[in-house]
Amino acid sequence: MGYLTSILILGCINIVVVLGLSVLTGYTGLFSIGHAGFMAVGGYAAAIIYIRLHVPFALALPLGGVAAGLSSYIIGYPAFRGKLRGDYFAIATLGFAEAVRLLLNTTYPVIGGAYGLMGIPQKTNLPIALAVALLAFAGAQSFVRSQHGKNCVAVYDDETAAQMMGVDLLRTKLMALFISAFYAGVAGALYAFYMAYLSPSMFGISKSSDLLAAVVFGGMQSIIGPVIIAFVTVALPELLRFLLAWRLVIYGLLFVVMMVFRPQGLLGYRELDFGPGWRRATAAVASRLGKPRPPRGPQGPVEGTP
Amino acid sequence: MSDAPLLSLRNVSISFGGVRAVHGVSLELRKGELVGLIGPNGAGKSTVLNLISGSVRPTEGDILFKGKSIVGLRPDVLSRIGISRTFQNIRLFPQMTAFENVALGIHGKPLYSFAESFVRTRRAWRAEAEVRERALSLLELVDLTRYAKERAGSLPYGLQRRLELARAMATGPELLLLDEPAAGMNEDECGSLVELIRRIHEESSYGMILIEHHMNVVMELCADSLIYVLNLGEILASGSPREVQADQRVIGAYLGAKRSANERRRRRIS
Amino acid sequence: MILFMQQLVNGLSIGAVYALLAVGYALVYSVYNFTNWAFDAFMVVGAFAAYYCITLFGLPLPVAIGLAMLVTAGVAVSVEVGAYRPLRVRQAPRLFMMISAMGASMAIVNIVNLAFGGSFRKFPEISSASVELGGVYIGRMDLFAIVFSFVSLSALWLLLGKTRIGLGIRASAIDTVTAGLMGINNNSVAIIVFGVSGVLSAIAGVFFGAKYAVYPYLGLVTTKAMIASIIGGIGSLPGAVVGSLLLGVIETFVSAYISSVYRDLISFTILVLVLLFFPNGIMGAKTVDKL
Repeated sequence: MGYLTSILILGCINIVVVLGLSVLTGYTGLFSIGHAGFMAVGGYAAAIIYIRLHVPFALALPLGGVAAGLSSYIIGYPAFRGKLRGDYFAIATLGFAEAVRLLLNTTYPVIGGAYGLMGIPQKTNLPIALAVALLAFAGAQSFVRSQHGKNCVAVYDDETAAQMMGVDLLRTKLMALFISAFYAGVAGALYAFYMAYLSPSMFGISKSSDLLAAVVFGGMQSIIGPVIIAFVTVALPELLRFLLAWRLVIYGLLFVVMMVFRPQGLLGYRELDFGPGWRRATAAVASRLGKPRPPRGPQGPVEGTP
Repeated sequence: MSDAPLLSLRNVSISFGGVRAVHGVSLELRKGELVGLIGPNGAGKSTVLNLISGSVRPTEGDILFKGKSIVGLRPDVLSRIGISRTFQNIRLFPQMTAFENVALGIHGKPLYSFAESFVRTRRAWRAEAEVRERALSLLELVDLTRYAKERAGSLPYGLQRRLELARAMATGPELLLLDEPAAGMNEDECGSLVELIRRIHEESSYGMILIEHHMNVVMELCADSLIYVLNLGEILASGSPREVQADQRVIGAYLGAKRSANERRRRRIS
Repeated sequence: MILFMQQLVNGLSIGAVYALLAVGYALVYSVYNFTNWAFDAFMVVGAFAAYYCITLFGLPLPVAIGLAMLVTAGVAVSVEVGAYRPLRVRQAPRLFMMISAMGASMAIVNIVNLAFGGSFRKFPEISSASVELGGVYIGRMDLFAIVFSFVSLSALWLLLGKTRIGLGIRASAIDTVTAGLMGINNNSVAIIVFGVSGVLSAIAGVFFGAKYAVYPYLGLVTTKAMIASIIGGIGSLPGAVVGSLLLGVIETFVSAYISSVYRDLISFTILVLVLLFFPNGIMGAKTVDKL
């Protein structure tokens, strides 16, 4: 029971990060190999404001996300401002994650340096993790179908043409990065309040690789694909312990095989769609979160064309 | 009614790494006017469009749009103040549907806020509905309604050209720059494209600049307006189609370009 | 003053290792316009090959380095053929190339990790003697590293600038399709380019291993080289060298005068600052013509 719960909770947390990463990588075409860094920022920020400032847990989660989101501007602004090639943004994210880890590792007052941050109460339970994951899922779905989300896809497809059509590249990329960092931050916070302690070594490169793998295998421009893989990558190693050591080798080889034979990933460019009923339902969920239902829900632009 | 031209280029020059691609070009365009820009390969026609649409910045001279200088503004800003274009080598968003391509032109600057992309408000739904309606009517205009749900990248070439035209109009331009819209089309397709552009020109008040290699397309569309002839980055001549066609310098430039190309080819073979 | 000079020399010797790597990046970048994300794996292979040639088979150092170069060049070429070529041929988006190369690198590094274990190995003592130059001591190893880096960089410079092969590579760099039409075999160009970058990374791997230790994740240092090549100006060979030396020197001074703890933080900070103030790198403006 406890074991299964733990897998489910960790799976939900993983899903939250991967949802954000999917917006950034799958939809906007920006590659982050340092997303664990944003998780770390979010986790530490949430834990500290909870412990030191006695901010309630429910508020600490989104604030952790905001902290991570804001920190993303440190790399986002300089990297996106010049028309820097995507590769170099990836390096910047890696540099960021390493810098964060180093800072956490060497700062002993308040956050405990390499010993880690202790004394975080365990607050994350399955219902909370599930609720956050669902909310994150609905949010991501809604975002990628919005005008802002479509602009991200345009940037992915053809930056120059997108700009000529009036898309503000810097703004759009920063927005995608902010969302993904926010998601990672919230996940980091959930993680902190689940593990009840934090240590810089939790957010190393192999964590970032796991996250990326989920998006790559799950598929570009897909929300549901990465979500499935995000969950599987948590559950599978737990179930097949003997594979754990070879995990990264297998990921690596699969990356190559996938890019050579099926670059679109598991469910790339294909959204989960069970017909109009499903679309109506997701639209209803999306709108329920805010105002009452719209007069008549013209929803995704795809449907409804004659 | 103001008499300020919609667009004026004043003595615009640009050089790339010491090579002057465009030199001292001046031209004017009024609202609702359609002018042609022709010239042999490498004359700098596309560069002129790139200068106007902001993807390159002139090294000298000034570009005025509705009386204000637009030099140094980013392409997305220019798009928002009313300059739109198509590309010589089609640049649609291949993974998006035809509908989404056109819709993107409308919401390149989104009509609702970032927060509303997560939680749609009434306003956001209304904006979505408006976008849909406009995009569909534009698709209808270019006769692509049937293909609304097709992925843009999978459409036949000629239809992609039409789609790009619809997308360019979707940004709500006052100035429309068409970079070889008939490139790679056969006679039939050219004919229906001419028809389409003529209709757009007549029904809208866009100022239009048309670059084209198919002479008959230009001559037909610009029959009662100006054609500028560009050669080696400079304006060689301008006038009505008839004047331009009769101009010895123009003929010389085209023949010269053709001759030197032939010579180059011959040299390469031997 | 002497201390200052000493730090400068130390910095240059680290910078020289970065330079070898950064030039490898710049070489691939200038030809293919993408960053070779499998580079760290090449370096690891080079270091391990040299290490085991010496410790296991008792080969002398030059032979070991030579073999390591061969092995690494072989691995580099197989990555080219297996992970890059299929994508290059169908002109896949750069994102996919990046993922594919990262996958190759992940697989190779972790195979090394599983096969040989993750422990830190001390590279056999090559030479602890140092040379004194006006009160400044240079480890012979460091001196060798600096000299060797410059020799191989000059050789590369000559190869690209003065030979037929170099001409083919540059032609391929400017326009792959046309070069192909003109009878240049793009595939053999790719093999040469990757082979050479493999050799460079093997040398860098050996020097790095000798200076610090040999371990599966030593390839992480390639991040520094990437940062150095951004600082220097993307795709520019001279820029890569200058950026690397600069980064090596700055890091050393920071460790010496501020704190060694923040050494790695500095490279990231420099990266952000360079991107803010010189978006094309410090020598970026001069990289209009490639090479």
